[in-house]
Amino acid sequence: MRDEHIKRLLDEAPLASLGKSELAAARAHAEGCAECRRTFEAAQVSSLMLRTRADETFEPSPFFQTRVLAALRERRAAEEGWTFARLWKSAGLLVSSMAATTAALAVLTFVAPQEQVSAQEVASTPYTAEALLFDEAEAEGGQMTYEQVLTTLYESEDEEAR
Amino acid sequence: MELEHAPELELARLARTGDESAFAEIVRRYGPRVFRTAGRFFRRREQVEEAAQEVFLKAFTQLDTFEGRGSFEGWLTRIATNTCLNLMRSARRRPELSASDLSEDEGAWLEQNLAGAAVERQQSEERGLVAADLTERVLGTLTPDDRLVLMMMDGEEASVKEVAEATGWTESNVKVKAMRARRRMREAVEKLLSRGAKMGE
Repeated sequence: MRDEHIKRLLDEAPLASLGKSELAAARAHAEGCAECRRTFEAAQVSSLMLRTRADETFEPSPFFQTRVLAALRERRAAEEGWTFARLWKSAGLLVSSMAATTAALAVLTFVAPQEQVSAQEVASTPYTAEALLFDEAEAEGGQMTYEQVLTTLYESEDEEAR
Repeated sequence: MELEHAPELELARLARTGDESAFAEIVRRYGPRVFRTAGRFFRRREQVEEAAQEVFLKAFTQLDTFEGRGSFEGWLTRIATNTCLNLMRSARRRPELSASDLSEDEGAWLEQNLAGAAVERQQSEERGLVAADLTERVLGTLTPDDRLVLMMMDGEEASVKEVAEATGWTESNVKVKAMRARRRMREAVEKLLSRGAKMGE
């Protein structure tokens, strides 16, 4: 004990749990070792402090049960409110996306057709079959519709037949 | 069946379905145990009560996890311990304590106990309060884990196994934590004693 000091012994177990012989040996060592004397005193005071503090206990007040139940109801109500708010938010998102889709469809239905090229205009487009075959329109950077291609081809055939 | 005599598994089952009176019975039955656990961490009554309330609210939301393999009390104690540890960790206040911070009463208490005049557990109520105040301040300089392990093992004489059950730590982890915590507490007290001695010279 004299060589190992007593710090390890005091670290390993609560002072109060040491046996009589261990305690006597520790005390004897502390008497002759200045370094360990302070440590031993500190361990004694620590042990007393902790046991005194552990003696302090609290009991629930008679109102504690009521308080917990009230808090539980409050928390549940808040959670329900939160769930409702989330639902409401999701519903809002859904409604606004539906409105946006409806508006987009309306625009496509009533505005877009006016921009479409009419059949008359297609028919009067001055394309020739040669121009089509040699892809002149493409070379000029123009774009032709399917109707324009058909009209141009069949018109030239009709003229030849006449 | 009267709830007062209902087995814990039945109470837990009823509370899980939203039965408030079953939950009220749980609070009544296990309140003292939860207060005892919270009392290891906090010393002001309102703090203890606040922590205990938080424990029960958390337990209510976690009732699904109680499978009835162990005791309900053990399950609740673990929730209580971990909730209090988290509350204390989130406070993050561990001020240094020096001899100059001690009140006159605290200094006198230390001096008397250092002289070996009263290294007895039985003290007057007033001196007991001084000791508990001082202990709280010393414990306040340690980590929540250190405090818990010291309060349980050195204060309440709990076994390594009991601490492991209450915290969910392994037994070897408890032993290591206890060794370190004892050393830190001793060093904090030693510092107070040596400064006190210097001041007295």
